[in-house]
Amino acid sequence: MSETSTSARPEWGTLIGIGLTFFAIGVTVNVLVYEHVGSAVKTIAAAGIVLSATSELAYIAVRDVGGSVLAALIAGWVVASRFGLLAASLGTRIQVGHLQRSCAALNCLDPNVGVAMQQTTPKGVITAFWWVTGALHLGWWCGTFTGVFLGNIIGDANRLGLDAVFPALLLAIIANLLRQKPGLIAALVGGGLCAALLPIAPAGTPIILSLTGAVVALKVPEPKAATS
Amino acid sequence: MTWTIIILLAVGVASLRLLGMYGGTALVRRVPMFERLGSLIPAAVVSAVIAQLTFASGKSLTIDARSAGVAVAAVLIWRRAPIIVVILAAAATTALLRL
Repeated sequence: MSETSTSARPEWGTLIGIGLTFFAIGVTVNVLVYEHVGSAVKTIAAAGIVLSATSELAYIAVRDVGGSVLAALIAGWVVASRFGLLAASLGTRIQVGHLQRSCAALNCLDPNVGVAMQQTTPKGVITAFWWVTGALHLGWWCGTFTGVFLGNIIGDANRLGLDAVFPALLLAIIANLLRQKPGLIAALVGGGLCAALLPIAPAGTPIILSLTGAVVALKVPEPKAATS
Repeated sequence: MTWTIIILLAVGVASLRLLGMYGGTALVRRVPMFERLGSLIPAAVVSAVIAQLTFASGKSLTIDARSAGVAVAAVLIWRRAPIIVVILAAAATTALLRL
């Protein structure tokens, strides 16, 4: 996740990795969405305007087990509320106009905020954010079209191990945060709490409650070398 | 999933993102403690997403081929392997264990 010496652009290997991961997500998610929706146009439109694979999957999951439309919508929204938290976090670190700020908000996802927040200057944060956003959009759209139009040929994408790719990428992205004690505590408490609550809490809420990890980590002294 | 549902889902998700960017950011800037909290949120929230993607199977927790793939990825990340190697190894491990 390191910067190059001359710019805040993430290394090409990082961008390619993010693009490949979002290609894999685009394929796996949109094969499922297409099966549920039954329309290529709707599947592609949803991929573009919702821009949250987990929200789409949460909606479908609730409907598939007989849940109401309202319950499914709420599940989709709750799952996406983490993007609001990430947007709030990103918003404190950028100095841009309202148009770019709004565009950034609408594109907030886990990897681009995760990479951007590790930069040391406001310009570096927004530069890294847009580079990663570009890479993930390229992968996501290629994956979406592949999933919709070639899904029958690919078959079960999880057979290829693609469901392990996204968590692996996210882990790589936050690795630098985990090498400092406050970040490690936030991650362990947040991740552990989420895992503990998954079997008992409504869809999406364990991720929101993972915020507790950040609150607990506030009690850990900030490292002297911290730049944020 | 009708057009109405797609639009409702999209409007809700977009609203949450904008609310976070404007409302959340304003709150963080007003209360100094929240500024540090804001820098810790990505670690907590992204870790929760990782936990869910690695261990959730519906409403239950499971350790399976996918978890093994992510474990291999974790070791490679610890060894500072390039990100492409990490994600390819995760996918390959998971796929091989499912053969």
